[in-house]
Amino acid sequence: MAAPELTVPDLEINRRITILPLQEYYTSGHRTCQGCESALVMRYMAKVAGPRTLVTGTTGCMYVANTSYNSTPWSLPWAHTQLGSSGSSAIGTSAALKALMRKGKIPDERINVIAFCSDGGGGDMGLATLSAAMQDTRYNLLILLYDNESYANTDIQASGMTPWGAVTAFTPSGKRQRITHHRWKKNVPALLMAGHPTGRYFANTSSGFGMDLMEKVRTALDMDGPTFVQTHDPCPKGWDYDPRMSHELAVMAVECGITVLWDCLEGELRYQGISRQQVEGKLRRRPVADYLRRQGRFAHFADEDIDFFQSRIDEMWEDWILPGVLRVNQTPFGPGGSRG
Amino acid sequence: MSVGAVDITYRGIFQKNLAGVITKELVKAARHEDKIGGTVQRYGDSPERNGIPAKQFSVIADDADSLRVEMTKYEPSNVVVVAVMDDTLTKGVESWAWYGVRPINLNLAPGGTLLVISRRSAEELLELIPRREYAWNLAILPGEPSFGGLWVYNDDGTDYRTMGAVSRVAGDLVSLDSLLAQAASGQDGELRAEQLREGHDSVRAYPVDAGVGAEDTYEPVEMPGWTQMREGLVIPAVPVGETNPLFKKYTTRTARPLVKFDACVKCQICYTVCPDECFIPTPEGHWDIRYESCCGCGICAQSCPVTGCIEMVDEAVFDSNEPLHGVYENNREEYEELRQDKLAKAGGPIPHYGIF
Amino acid sequence: MTATEQATSGTPAPAGHEAGHEEIITGCDAVAQALRLLDVDVLAGYPIRPYDSVMSAVSKMIANGQMDAEFIVAESEHSQFEIGKHASLVGARAFIGSAGVGWMYGMEALVVTASLRLPVIALVGNRALDDPGAFGVEHNDALMVRDTGWLLYWVESAQEALDTTLLAYRVAEDKRVMLPCALSMDGAFLTHSQHIVRVPDEERVSRFVPPYDLGDRRFHPDNPVSIAPQFNEDWVMEARRQSDAAMRRARTVIGEATADFQRLFGREPEDPFVDAYRMEDAEYALIGMGTVGMVGKVAVDRMRAAGKKVGFVRVKWFRPFPRPELRALLRNVKGVGIVDRDYSFGSSSHAGVLYTEVTAALYPEPRRPVVAPFIAGLGGREVSVENMLEMEDSVERVTAAGELDPTCQWIGVRGPATDPRYEQGENPRTAEGGAR
Ligand SMILES: Cc1ncc(C[n+]2csc(CCOP(=O)(O)OP(=O)(O)O)c2C)c(N)n1
Ligand code: SF4
Ligand code: SF4
Ligand code: SF4
Ligand SMILES: [Mg+2]
Repeated sequence: MAAPELTVPDLEINRRITILPLQEYYTSGHRTCQGCESALVMRYMAKVAGPRTLVTGTTGCMYVANTSYNSTPWSLPWAHTQLGSSGSSAIGTSAALKALMRKGKIPDERINVIAFCSDGGGGDMGLATLSAAMQDTRYNLLILLYDNESYANTDIQASGMTPWGAVTAFTPSGKRQRITHHRWKKNVPALLMAGHPTGRYFANTSSGFGMDLMEKVRTALDMDGPTFVQTHDPCPKGWDYDPRMSHELAVMAVECGITVLWDCLEGELRYQGISRQQVEGKLRRRPVADYLRRQGRFAHFADEDIDFFQSRIDEMWEDWILPGVLRVNQTPFGPGGSRG
Repeated sequence: MSVGAVDITYRGIFQKNLAGVITKELVKAARHEDKIGGTVQRYGDSPERNGIPAKQFSVIADDADSLRVEMTKYEPSNVVVVAVMDDTLTKGVESWAWYGVRPINLNLAPGGTLLVISRRSAEELLELIPRREYAWNLAILPGEPSFGGLWVYNDDGTDYRTMGAVSRVAGDLVSLDSLLAQAASGQDGELRAEQLREGHDSVRAYPVDAGVGAEDTYEPVEMPGWTQMREGLVIPAVPVGETNPLFKKYTTRTARPLVKFDACVKCQICYTVCPDECFIPTPEGHWDIRYESCCGCGICAQSCPVTGCIEMVDEAVFDSNEPLHGVYENNREEYEELRQDKLAKAGGPIPHYGIF
Repeated sequence: MTATEQATSGTPAPAGHEAGHEEIITGCDAVAQALRLLDVDVLAGYPIRPYDSVMSAVSKMIANGQMDAEFIVAESEHSQFEIGKHASLVGARAFIGSAGVGWMYGMEALVVTASLRLPVIALVGNRALDDPGAFGVEHNDALMVRDTGWLLYWVESAQEALDTTLLAYRVAEDKRVMLPCALSMDGAFLTHSQHIVRVPDEERVSRFVPPYDLGDRRFHPDNPVSIAPQFNEDWVMEARRQSDAAMRRARTVIGEATADFQRLFGREPEDPFVDAYRMEDAEYALIGMGTVGMVGKVAVDRMRAAGKKVGFVRVKWFRPFPRPELRALLRNVKGVGIVDRDYSFGSSSHAGVLYTEVTAALYPEPRRPVVAPFIAGLGGREVSVENMLEMEDSVERVTAAGELDPTCQWIGVRGPATDPRYEQGENPRTAEGGAR
């Protein structure tokens, strides 16, 4: 192994680190995997939300591995909600606070309501509840979808947000069929944004970009009304790589243009950091092979599979009017394409 | 023997498939001796998490009734061999909250064998392994821990070497001949046979008398009765500034990050990227590590921008979870000596992956 | 002026007996009135016949400013029940409801509401389960939660619906209980017909039901707790045992609350658990739940007039099940007929759920009556006085014949009681050329 150079890697995080609130509201003693980036997302989320916050979480790793065996790592009040219930738990909690405050049954104050879910519970099963939550402008709430790209807690099965071709417990690679996961990953923040014009804020971020993530969570919590933040979190168990690489894989997914850092604040779409530089043509995307080849879940990929993957990523950057966000490449007003 | 169990204690996920192969093949081999058996994946370990200590068992019996009794347990009794797939596990295992850190040989039957894959000597290991009130055996199979992934199996022969070693230390449970016969019936029979023999021949066993070994500080937990629990499935949150009192996670660690504070540029990256909230600020702007909470993922070491500033060092050479910045504050040279000493004992740091 | 508008502009309650004012309203509207009086904080609705008019009534009252609450139109029953559960966890008095397959759709959320020990109240407008998509009453929907820690009640009239809603919150929110309660109401007969109902005044209601206080379980930043952490075999039994204890204590609490209710609202004292009609010296009895009680009592009056010693028992609280009451009432009875408006295919005697429960309740009695199972009124089929007479007749017959295990009879079903060819798997329809 080549000796590493003594340089500060050119990571977003290094350039933008300011003074973080030191206090942890999600703290040590969670039974998550070594290198679990979803746990890091919980930490960032709690840190930036602060103590006047209520958190509900759906069944999944961030339930079973956190409040594990009748113990808890949460300093914030936290409650379990059912796998498909992130949206409804947020609505129920927020509605109750609103009613009780209006009627003077509890003191009137700003209390953050966050419901988290993952790609399985949120992106598949609970999608209807996310939709309902994004519509109801009466209630202040944030849905945070931590996307570890599988039904992880049940030992890694494919969800609608598992990347194309990845091996999971339900989509193995076999002697007859190399690829058995045929669905291209769905883009939940874009889907919610496109269909819910009353949602106040939608964002996509990554566990590898702590400041970006925290800024987005903070922005969401400061809005009145429904908001949604999705984070892309490497999962060393399900993706099968050495946990040490967690942070770098998260960054690499952005460098490859697979994960896109963007948000939409009241209809204004913005790209951040590396993704912004990529959109502006100032930074070349890394080949996706760099990312895919480092993970056991893609170990079965033939070169043609990598090529296919790359071609889909290229298409979403080169042909879409909103690169990496919405697949619109043609409008009544003429052809699109971000860069001509 | 009417029934005996082999306990495979391993690192969750990394060695799950390894443990699965060993437990199953041992039972298949025992069939060559007209014995019956089954395997038990300890259900409480599921879902397994990377690195967290887990167990699987082979249960081998002479008669059906003895087997039936064991197959309805989470952890079978009469464990005649505890095979430890990674020697840092000998420091104790905390698989869940509430139960605390349990000795690696907690359930070893009197006279049974603790078989450890290790490069260390019996003396070194006995500094880590708690004493028992009865005599037992320590067996060492020289080697490195074999780590694989959930999807990619590390087929390096550790499975068959371990089985060979088991047949040496518990030949009346399953013999080398049976293992060889079983291996011959499958693929790569010759290679497997070689590995079985290698394990059988290279394992070294040492009798350990009652009372010999490290201090046993383990206290069994007392669980509250139903009238003592809060109703409605409610437990108190962690007071702000504290950590989960019931689960610590440090036995998940095979290596720990050791910081060369003199090299630190105080960039905060380690603190920022740690998923286990281990970093504690010092007045100087360094980041101390609460080892009690550290699971040894290595993200901090991999992400620290200064070469050689955070290094991952074999956990077996440490005997305390105390944060180390205090030593550094007191005397920088002394700290550097300590650091060098640990690195030397560990045979150097675990290599950094380089910057991608 | 609509019924609901009248409710709030109603005359001040007279001081003495029968406080409040009178209205002619459906069972659903009666529940809505109770919810207004109870100052419920959060309600979540999802449309399904026949319970949904309670939500229409409530949303109208909110729109008119007669009630101050958050009303959420959920996107499924599962969400509806989860919303109710989470609102209750924050300390809001919550109300939900459903029917038939809707109740089933949210089953997961119902189960956790009970295990979290949250006093959410639900109205079930009993409805047949799909398929076919029938609207009529069957009790199987509400019965599906019978083992999960829900308190269950079947009402007979709109007045009882209103009264029981008050009682349900009082009992469910009692510290000793803290369990959800489903109030069942026969589809059509109570949900879509209007009864004369006395609506009490708010002041008396608030004296009867104190404010909801979740104590140290309240989900609020001032009370940092983790709610429902994951655990396994070394804790689950203890948690279940606590729910069991709560259900046991519910009996005492129901007793107290009912006595208080009678005192405060000036109603005649009656047994909290069962509605026993002319059972004093009865030799035969019919047992049922819900609106069959109305015809049951008429049938009893007719038979009594004809000199027969017959009574009727309506089971009100199904959970906790009124075992002591039934044992006492049936101790000296010779024969009992159970009128199940539900089915439990493949169960003992191929009868219904009530039959299974009643026979189990009577088991420790040294002298047990003959118990004859009946299935009647499925899918909303009417159960008439004549049906009741027919069943009583049958009970007498099997009792006289000394049949210890009478065959379950389907009352009012078209076609023969049984057909040997059909039992053997043949289809007589094709053999005979069939009707259609
Ligand atoms: C209704 C229901 N179906 C299935 C399950 C089993 N289950 C528990 S966790 C889980 C995985 C959830 O996946 P995801 O939402 O992506 O969360 P993750 O485990 O990845 O954190 C499943 C399927 C459940 N708890 N509830
Ligand atoms: S399986 Fe993945 S998401 Fe779950 S705890 Fe492990 S690393 Fe985290
Ligand atoms: S990452 Fe390295 S250089 Fe930066 S603060 Fe941590 S130890 Fe110091
Ligand atoms: S190895 Fe580093 S990043 Fe990982 S848990 Fe320990 S201190 Fe945190
Ligand atoms: Mg997931």
